[in-house]
Amino acid sequence: MDRFKLRKAEPKDVPDILRLIKELAKYEDMEDQVILTEKDLLEDGFGDHPFYHCLVAEDPSEQSNNNNGPVVIGFAMYYFTYDPWIGKLLYLEDFFVMKEYRGNYKHFLSFCLSSSLTLPITINSHRLSIFTAFPLSSLFPPGFGIGSEILKLLSHTAVKSRCSSMHFIVAEGNQASIEFYKRRGAADLSLEEGWRLFKIDKSSLLKMSSGPEE
Amino acid sequence: MTDFKIRKAEPKDVPDILRLIKELAKYEGMENQVKLTEEDLLEDGFGDNPLYHCVMAEVPSEPQSNNGPVVIGFAMYYFTYDPWIGKLLYLEDFFVMEEYREIGIGSEILKLLSDMAFETRCNSMHFVVAKDNQESIEFYKRRGAADITLDEGWRLFKINRSSLFKMSSGSKE
Repeated sequence: MDRFKLRKAEPKDVPDILRLIKELAKYEDMEDQVILTEKDLLEDGFGDHPFYHCLVAEDPSEQSNNNNGPVVIGFAMYYFTYDPWIGKLLYLEDFFVMKEYRGNYKHFLSFCLSSSLTLPITINSHRLSIFTAFPLSSLFPPGFGIGSEILKLLSHTAVKSRCSSMHFIVAEGNQASIEFYKRRGAADLSLEEGWRLFKIDKSSLLKMSSGPEE
Repeated sequence: MTDFKIRKAEPKDVPDILRLIKELAKYEGMENQVKLTEEDLLEDGFGDNPLYHCVMAEVPSEPQSNNGPVVIGFAMYYFTYDPWIGKLLYLEDFFVMEEYREIGIGSEILKLLSDMAFETRCNSMHFVVAKDNQESIEFYKRRGAADITLDEGWRLFKINRSSLFKMSSGSKE
């Protein structure tokens, strides 16, 4: 049974894209930093020269309120960048799946505690092992593998469009994401090569563009 | 005082762009890592959908020669997208030949890039700097640059082609 469907974003997805951008920002406590509007997203993503591309994940079993088809429950935003040594790269900018559609081992723990489930535990002399009377996998609420499928599709896109690599940034405190990516062969360039990401914001750009000499 | 000119790159600049990319890579001991060819640069930068843009810095050649201006610096940039604020200008490479530094070429290039950013309605300019490149870090900080890696704790990651391939035709995790 198909629990979810992945596809390229279309103009009609813009409200959902903005909703998920805000949901991800809210998760980082930064919802008021999102100043982008649906109009910006439409113009910038679906005009003659798109500045970004999106994949969206939808749940075929849930219809959205506004008759727009199935509910969109995740997305990835990416664009193409250029490395002066190796050329075209795919840059993964945003990647978010709604909480209820992810796998969560914490649910398993709270389920155990709330239902007073007892696990018979066997300890042998060489290592601690946990044996149960039934497969643990039946207790873990499964993720649907949406994140993995999105990455798979992005990888396919990157290879097909002759990209040498995929780049993205991760917050250094986000251990779960860092592990997720490292399992798939990701290397931490900040650590290994000592690169630091800088920004010059609008007011400083303004000073530089018309401003006094240094 | 040396006269110089900053202008947008044209297809004829591709050999100089590659030369300067290699010179910058050589400076980092990485010249053999440059796989790009003039053909790639031409196709990728001057086709229907350019993947990058360049500005070039040139100086007049010696008065006694009959040659045109000589290219002595460049900056490579492209546009990226921030999901909170929209379009950004990303400065990818920025290099002025050693003998032509300290005369304001770097500042002029940054000024032109700032103008470009405004013309195209960008909200910010992003770029990476090697953490031990103190001189560059100071140069940018004097112009209002903030170290996002330091301030916000972002780490830049990459997944290279062979790992991408594994993921795309993929074996399970």
